[in-house]
Amino acid sequence: MNGFFIGAGVILCLLMILALYRTVVGPTIIDRMMGATVIGTKTTILLVIIGTIYGRVEMFVDIALAYAMLNFIVTIAASRYFTHHKNITGAGFGVFGRVPKRRAKR
Amino acid sequence: MIWQFDLPILTLIVICGAFAILVKDLLGSAIIFGAYSFLMCLLWTEMGAVDVAFTEAAVGAGVSTVLFFAAVHRTSREVRSRKSGRKLYKGLGLLASGILGGILFYASGDFPGWADPASPAATHLSPHFITRTIAETSVPNIVTSVLADYRGFDTMFETAVVFTAGLAVLILLRIGGCRTAGPVWQTAAAIRPAYGDSIIRFVTRQLTPFIQLFALYVVAHGHHSPGGGFQGGVILGASFILLAISYDLNMAMNRINEKAALLLANSGLLLYAGIGLLCLLLGANFLDYSILQRILPGVDGVAARSHAMLGVEIGVAVTVMAIVMLIYNNLVSNGTYEKGL
Repeated sequence: MNGFFIGAGVILCLLMILALYRTVVGPTIIDRMMGATVIGTKTTILLVIIGTIYGRVEMFVDIALAYAMLNFIVTIAASRYFTHHKNITGAGFGVFGRVPKRRAKR
Repeated sequence: MIWQFDLPILTLIVICGAFAILVKDLLGSAIIFGAYSFLMCLLWTEMGAVDVAFTEAAVGAGVSTVLFFAAVHRTSREVRSRKSGRKLYKGLGLLASGILGGILFYASGDFPGWADPASPAATHLSPHFITRTIAETSVPNIVTSVLADYRGFDTMFETAVVFTAGLAVLILLRIGGCRTAGPVWQTAAAIRPAYGDSIIRFVTRQLTPFIQLFALYVVAHGHHSPGGGFQGGVILGASFILLAISYDLNMAMNRINEKAALLLANSGLLLYAGIGLLCLLLGANFLDYSILQRILPGVDGVAARSHAMLGVEIGVAVTVMAIVMLIYNNLVSNGTYEKGL
């Protein structure tokens, strides 16, 4: 049974790579938010899976609950930020640190 | 430790850390840091350090990214660097960090192996904590008893460090803002329906009591499961940050204003130190809780230690909650408490 959970956990970890790709490459800030949120959801599941593997799921489920309750605060904060500021697409910021000539407008 | 998880998680952490520095968009950087925090929490969990993972979860999901957003909101989203002399400084910085990294890498070879039973930490103190905790304190979670009882001094000064950090933010940002009188009292209904987002407000209003109840559970149940004062305090503070984001800064400040938050931050630390002082007055050492059996009715020394730990955790939670709120309120409004995010 542990083999099943370890396999499921490793597959979730590998699927995280896709979400992380979207998070680090972007290009818009919405893509990054989506990627980070998906990573957060997978983390919540993985915490419970790890708890099951260790056989002490009641110790680990509190952390997963904390994530489930608090994970959306950042999304709301981002949406609030973009009611005050423009440039939601991140135009003017290079993906890997190169800043193109056209400067970003706030 | 499960090696199958180690490899992918560690790889992803390195990628996250590298790109958090490389990305020039500071908001993107903050979000990548959020993902980094998720992965670190997974790593702690997978190593069995559940309390550390809980702290990482509470701080990473609830507070740190929001604080980054608040700081970016009040400053600039761009990375700005001076043009003159950049090459030289960059080269020097690279050289310095390369040398330091090499030394650290070399020194890490001297560490004992993971969970090595012959390591110095595992031969002297750990056996005492592991075998004697239940008999001496009746607390099943060894982390809580080490944190709040055996190493009570460390935790008290950690709380003092949190308190000092809050004061530093207050001193730096509030100087310009202290001329304004602060927000006036408003009922929730009178707050301007600024963006017409009734869904977010409704959900937040319904969810906040549950978040706060969960935070209180985390504080009170820290004796038996992961959690305790720091984690519960951060979750409590995050619930107020959530109110401030989804409604208005005024809404959260009406619930707990600056004076009340400062008072709470002080009194939490005072509660911790006061319990220690009470032990001193009763004739034992500072923070030697077992002497409290003289004034607590109907408990022996073991139960007194357990109860005093709960008091200490409550003090920590109150301080952390108030300081988290103060830092957010000052960062997001530049010290004026006028307009939030």
